[in-house]
Amino acid sequence: MDFMTAFDIGASALSAERTQINITSMNLANVKTTRTPGGGPYQRKAVTLAAENVDSPFSVHMKSALDRELRGVRVMDIARDQRPFKQVYEPGHPDANQEGYVLYPDINVVEEMTNMMTASRGYEANVTSIETIKNMFNKALMLGT
Amino acid sequence: MKSLFPQHMQLVGKVMDMRLQRQNVVMSNLANVRTPGYKALRLEFEEDLQAALGRDAKGKMSRTEGDHMPAKFSPEGFGPDFHRTFQPHVVHGDDSVDLDKEVGVMSKNSMMYNALATVLKKNFEGLTKIIQEGQK
Repeated sequence: MDFMTAFDIGASALSAERTQINITSMNLANVKTTRTPGGGPYQRKAVTLAAENVDSPFSVHMKSALDRELRGVRVMDIARDQRPFKQVYEPGHPDANQEGYVLYPDINVVEEMTNMMTASRGYEANVTSIETIKNMFNKALMLGT
Repeated sequence: MKSLFPQHMQLVGKVMDMRLQRQNVVMSNLANVRTPGYKALRLEFEEDLQAALGRDAKGKMSRTEGDHMPAKFSPEGFGPDFHRTFQPHVVHGDDSVDLDKEVGVMSKNSMMYNALATVLKKNFEGLTKIIQEGQK
C-alpha cells in the first residue's frame, strides 16, 4: 500500500463523476437539437462506469492481497442511447420531413436531473473522504512536532 | 525486549496502519458508488486484534495457583503473520455500496485514527518530559 493510494482512488472517482456531470449537461443542452455533424437529431449519451485497479498492471503483482482488492473507478464507455426519437408535428420547421414531423431527441429532463444529483452527491462523498484522509495524514505528521 | 519506547506504542502504530488501510478500503467503495456489479469490501481486524491481545475469552487460561505459568500476552509475538490474517471480505448479495454505511465507517475510523495519533503524541511528550526532567 502506497502512502498516497487513497488520493489516487479519490481522484479517479472525482474525475469519473465529473465526466458524468459533463455528459448530463451535454444531454440537457441538446434537448432540442435537430442537427448534428453526423446528421440527424442529437442522440442521448450514457456513461458506463467500471471498477479499475489503482496502479499499473505490473505493480499489481508486486503488492499484497489487500492492495490488489482496492479499486478506483473509471469511465469505461460513453455510449449512444438507442431509444427512438420523439416525433413532433411542426410543418414550419426547416428539419420537418414530408409529413410535417420533426424528430427531436427523447431526453427526459427529470431523468437527467436525477443523474446529475446522483453524480454530484457522489462527488461530494468522495471530496469528504479525501478531506478525511488528509486530516488523518496531517494528524500522523503532527506526531513529530 | 526493554527499550526506550514502551511496547504499547508499537501496538498503537500498528493499529493506526490498519485504520489507514480501512480508510483505503472505504475510499475504494465510495469511488465505486455507482459502478454496476461492484461489491462493497470491508476490512475487519478488531476481533483478531482482541484475540491476539488475549482480551477475549478464547484460549484464555485463569491462573488459580501461584506456581502456574503466567498466561500473559506479549506484544513481541506480533509479527507479519498477524497482518496476513486480515483479508477484506466481500459482502455477497449486497451489490451496491451503501453510502450512509460507508460514511459512517469512515468517520468512525478517522476519529479513532486521530485519537490514536493523540495517544501516541502524548506518549512521546511524556518521554521528552522525563528526559528533560532528568537533565535538571
